[in-house]
Amino acid sequence: MALGFVLGTFLLAIPVWAQGPARAIPRTPDGKPDLNGVWQVLNAAAWDLEDHNASLRMPAGQSVVESGEIPYRPAALAKKKENFQRREASDPVEAACYMPGVPRATYMPFPFEIIQNPKLITMSYEFGHARRSIFTDGTPHPDGFPDFWMGDSRGRWEGDTLVVDVTNLDERTWLDHAGNHHSDALHVLERYTLTDPDHILYEATLEDPKVFTRPWKISMPLYRRLEKNVKILEYECVQYIQEQKYGNAKPVVGAKP
Amino acid sequence: MKRTLLHIAVATILAAATLPPVQAQDQTPPKWSPPRTADGHPDMQGMWARRGTQMAEANAPKSPLSEFGTTGQPYPTVFNTGVSTPQAAAALANRPSGIIEPGNRVLPWRPEADAARREFLSHMIPPASLKYVEASARCVPPGLLGGDDRHPYQIIQRPGSFVLMYEYNHVTRVIHTDGRPHLGPNIRLYMGDSIGRWEGDTLVVDTTNFNDKTSFSQTIPFHSEVLHTVERFTMVDPNIIDYQLTIEDPKLFTAPIRIAGTFAAAAKGSELMEFACAEGSQTLPNIFGFGLFPEQ
Repeated sequence: MALGFVLGTFLLAIPVWAQGPARAIPRTPDGKPDLNGVWQVLNAAAWDLEDHNASLRMPAGQSVVESGEIPYRPAALAKKKENFQRREASDPVEAACYMPGVPRATYMPFPFEIIQNPKLITMSYEFGHARRSIFTDGTPHPDGFPDFWMGDSRGRWEGDTLVVDVTNLDERTWLDHAGNHHSDALHVLERYTLTDPDHILYEATLEDPKVFTRPWKISMPLYRRLEKNVKILEYECVQYIQEQKYGNAKPVVGAKP
Repeated sequence: MKRTLLHIAVATILAAATLPPVQAQDQTPPKWSPPRTADGHPDMQGMWARRGTQMAEANAPKSPLSEFGTTGQPYPTVFNTGVSTPQAAAALANRPSGIIEPGNRVLPWRPEADAARREFLSHMIPPASLKYVEASARCVPPGLLGGDDRHPYQIIQRPGSFVLMYEYNHVTRVIHTDGRPHLGPNIRLYMGDSIGRWEGDTLVVDTTNFNDKTSFSQTIPFHSEVLHTVERFTMVDPNIIDYQLTIEDPKLFTAPIRIAGTFAAAAKGSELMEFACAEGSQTLPNIFGFGLFPEQ
């Protein structure tokens, strides 16, 4: 009896949201899950998608790759190891502040905002004010487009999941700071599923027969930023790196821009 | 690809037609009633080309970049997608444009600020150091006036915010209209902190929290952190948004400056393209003789 009373007290102390059924997800007027808001990951995938130990300015992390390791072809694995050795100088995001590409933009340790309307979903990333347009108007990838740093994204709804097909990705982006890489044949299929009002399950399947022996998948939750009046600020990486590299440099005599 | 070629072709025609400045029209309220969003505000969503907002002052000093020809830029323009519908292009001829206050377009410079900018301009070609390299060549976010209006804009509206996206330098301005206050005064941003409110059918956008690192134009290469702007967006017909901008920067000017311009409807089917700046620019490696990667 006494034990039952104690247990009952504990149960009463559990917040309402943990007891009842899953909270209903918000929806837009057209009935789709409403992804609008500011989101951010809480993991160390930006440093290394795979299992890794901590080092200076790098937190440890468990792999976000479903099979644990990335299925590289032998030559591509050698290139990854070479990239890793020279990562401080050669990671396009860290050394030059280039746009992170897809999927890396998603798991940079910065917030991003989803701006959703029925025919277009925009993702606005705080890192370098990168942005991508996901067209959900039924249009296919246009023929003859060049490669883009953030790719060409066309989306569709499969039930309550936003499925985004990403092509035209520039081969010069890396997948993380550990030198994981891809070729111009990379094809990314992303899935965004609102599992409750404040969490999105993010999944991305990467297919690139020049570099990987088979398609492979990463997954991670995205967390809604709940601070009052939260908004995307600026991380103008390009300006900071210019100041560091050229702030005290002297122009070459006779140089013209 | 076909779409891209169309953009370039149409943009070239527009660029060739010079639009004469005209005086501000009288402020009679428009009779036309705009389409509405679900929350009852004018629906301005779509693709737009901005015209007429150049801060072209009378008696301006010579641009140090004028030797680089009509683009005024020392590098080629890659994408050129500032297109508009034929109706919008025709309407532009009768629209107010540029500085409308003061009426003579002579800016109310503080003498010491005018001297400082003339001194600044004298160090730009060849650039004396990084800060004298023209802002767009450094891929600096454009602020409210420093962009390149050959690139289009897109407006998205949500309950509680109005989103203005620039193709130029891929800037996204999420303008909250939910009554929240400005950011704290120690946060300083290239694009400032924009807060909007609806006054009838006009969106009024108040922007503060600027840093002092963006430029107004090639001959006004800086402003101060006390810059405060008010923008007014009023849709006057399906093809035209009237755009008015008031600039207050008491460290530079003794009085507010008003600028008028137009967002003109862009051709149907156009999309914002990716504008990669730092990723492709060789400007700084050329000036300083080395790049950001060891192999460069």
